[in-house]
Amino acid sequence: MAEKPYGLIATFETPGALMRAAEQVRDAGYRRWDCITPFPIHGLDKAMGVGRSRVPRISLLGGITGFCTGMSMIWFMDSYDYGLTVGGKPLFSPLYAFPVSYELTILFTAFATIGGMFFLNGLPMHYHPVLNYDKIRRGTDDLFFIVIERVDPRFSDDNTRALLAKAGGADITEIEA
Amino acid sequence: MRKPDSTKALGIGIAGLAVTALGMLVSPPHVVATAYLVGIGFWTAIAIGMLMMILLHHIFDASWSVVLRRQYEHGIAAFPWLLLLFVPLLAASWLGPRDLIWPWMNPDHQIIGGHLVKDDLLYVKKRAFLNLPLFTIVTMGFFAAWIWISARLRKASFTQDVDGDVKWTFMSGKTAGFGIPLLALTLTGAAIYWFKSLEYHWFSTMYGVWFFANCMRGALSSGVLIMLWLYRRGDFKGILKTDHLWAIGQMMLTFTVFWAYISFSQYFLIWNANVPEETFWYNIREYGDWWYVSLFLVFGNFLLPFLLLLSYRYKVTHRTIRRIAYLVLFVIFVDISYNILPALQDKSGNPQPFFSVNLIWAVTSVVGVGGICIAAYLRDLPKTKLIPIHDPRIGDCLNHDD
Repeated sequence: MAEKPYGLIATFETPGALMRAAEQVRDAGYRRWDCITPFPIHGLDKAMGVGRSRVPRISLLGGITGFCTGMSMIWFMDSYDYGLTVGGKPLFSPLYAFPVSYELTILFTAFATIGGMFFLNGLPMHYHPVLNYDKIRRGTDDLFFIVIERVDPRFSDDNTRALLAKAGGADITEIEA
Repeated sequence: MRKPDSTKALGIGIAGLAVTALGMLVSPPHVVATAYLVGIGFWTAIAIGMLMMILLHHIFDASWSVVLRRQYEHGIAAFPWLLLLFVPLLAASWLGPRDLIWPWMNPDHQIIGGHLVKDDLLYVKKRAFLNLPLFTIVTMGFFAAWIWISARLRKASFTQDVDGDVKWTFMSGKTAGFGIPLLALTLTGAAIYWFKSLEYHWFSTMYGVWFFANCMRGALSSGVLIMLWLYRRGDFKGILKTDHLWAIGQMMLTFTVFWAYISFSQYFLIWNANVPEETFWYNIREYGDWWYVSLFLVFGNFLLPFLLLLSYRYKVTHRTIRRIAYLVLFVIFVDISYNILPALQDKSGNPQPFFSVNLIWAVTSVVGVGGICIAAYLRDLPKTKLIPIHDPRIGDCLNHDD
């Protein structure tokens, strides 16, 4: 069955070439595209026009949830459900509930951070169309790629192909979905 | 760079010290001298923090802080002046009434309850430590250590500006190796001897760490203010990057949490154990308006800066991070006052209120000692290059990108 293709992919030999090409794709206004590199490249996020991650907001929510969970759990157990006087202390005090709440703040923040990162990245992802590309294995070794998705509003087969070629991309290939 | 004018700072400093001295006409000398200890403590904390930041920079072979380190190297030029400003307290203890500030220096000092210090069991047990000759020798030793470490670091860094030899970087690395334990021990000793011994009945193993937390927070906030000031003057245009502010802002957040962690631990352990030898210290600090000062420390010294510093935008926007830095310096002043001033008590053992004439002398001494320290920094600033141009990491620092 002839499905519509996923998009176009182009190869680059060096990180510098990739960086300059990414700037051109960014300036052309594309939104649904990505770079594939064998290693992290400093400054590529700026060249791609990627903003700051939204994970910290999810982390903050996790932290607040953790703190409230700790406080309310201890209040419920030690003061409401089964009051128990220990060492002449009040049934509930935020002071002795604090260490546990603080630990839960950290724990829930960590969970929210990991979970938020997975969610925002769409992980786990067992299949990706670029895996159909026969050269993609070199993306873990010595080759750099830019892939532009067909669903991008600015995508048109001729113009996008021309842009990638102008940006210095070689082997511009269509990828199956 | 344009030479900064240090005479104004010097003038303000001398004026502040003069007003503090004149305060003895209004308040008892005992009160003014204890308030003066707040001024000394506040600025010594910042200088120690700056010294620690330089040592940490070298031990980690850090790159982002090369430019900031040079400013700290000028900042620690204040140590000899702090020693000079500390001498009156020693002189007064030797020559004047021995219990001018620290009650245990006079064995005939009458403590609350009627008996004398020399009959007090805890004094007798701690007498080997709590005596004026040892206090004098050790305090001199602290300053000698700080001035010596500072001199080594400054010499290495400033000479490298001229000859560009990388051996100076290795020398500073070695200085950091022994300097960090030495500084940790001396700053702990200073905190215990100068501040904690005001109420020598008390026990806390957290005290040195508490002082260290304030040292670091003070140095980081001053570092932010210095960098933004140099940027405003135009000297740091093209040098100061967003990521530098981000890095130092992250450390400010870290030490905000660290301060809260150790302050809470100290309170929590004492609250939980509920032993009168320890709880009296906090009971005093819940009396009268000190109760509100305590609450201010919880919310103003931890919660507010913590929430503000979580934000990336606040950390890298000049206007907001400058305000946060001023806030942190202010709460450090309140925290140090909270630790020192309740030692001033009335006849029945209750602390004199925070909002009293005593606070004025604490403020004037902070202004006075601060003016001298800032003048020392400003006079030192034009003596070297603005940034350490031959540091092996200077390129990494100028292109710092997180």
